[in-house]
Amino acid sequence: MDGSFQEKSARGLLAGILLVSVFYFPVALRIVEFAGNPVALVAVSVVGVVSLIIIEAVYHAAIAISGGTESDERDALVNLQAERNGGVVLGLTLFLLVGHIIAEHALRSGDGPSPLLIVVYIIAALTVSEVAKLASQIWYYRAGI
Amino acid sequence: MGNTRVRNNIRKLRFEHGEMTQQELAERIGVTRQTIVAIEKEKYSPSLEAAFRIAAVFDQPLEAVFTFDG
Repeated sequence: MDGSFQEKSARGLLAGILLVSVFYFPVALRIVEFAGNPVALVAVSVVGVVSLIIIEAVYHAAIAISGGTESDERDALVNLQAERNGGVVLGLTLFLLVGHIIAEHALRSGDGPSPLLIVVYIIAALTVSEVAKLASQIWYYRAGI
Repeated sequence: MGNTRVRNNIRKLRFEHGEMTQQELAERIGVTRQTIVAIEKEKYSPSLEAAFRIAAVFDQPLEAVFTFDG
């Protein structure tokens, strides 16, 4: 598909994050639910991050070789607007997370979600905001800004 | 979002200047070809500087290239 380096980069990053998330979150939630082992969660998280870095490095090298890496004022504007959207989504998801934790504490008489589960929730909030940023970036490139 | 209210006749001006390609125009004003495509389709309003550069390439005043559909 035609598009600038920045647009292809956003598409690749979004696909990579979604792909890694499909494997990471079910495994991370199982670890929290059944093992409760922080070392295992860290290990899975490191594997997830390293996988994402490898996928993105290979993909970005391929698109850079095929079409260059130049960017311009439109890329800067699209990125700025997308960053803002991602920030709004991050704020919203963290607000919901705090509300959820407080509600869990209240409903379970002080026994809320475990620290490991909160870690997974925070990673999920960061992932959702990044997905929102990249999706809106792609939208602005396609629909106009 | 979507189409801007800034209209342009860059496509016509490119045709009148020896079928100048989008790539050539992009290189001359220092943006990517995709940005020229977006400007021509009126999906992106260029910065004032880029608009002046485009007008200069075609040796036209700014208002002969861009109009505001206000």
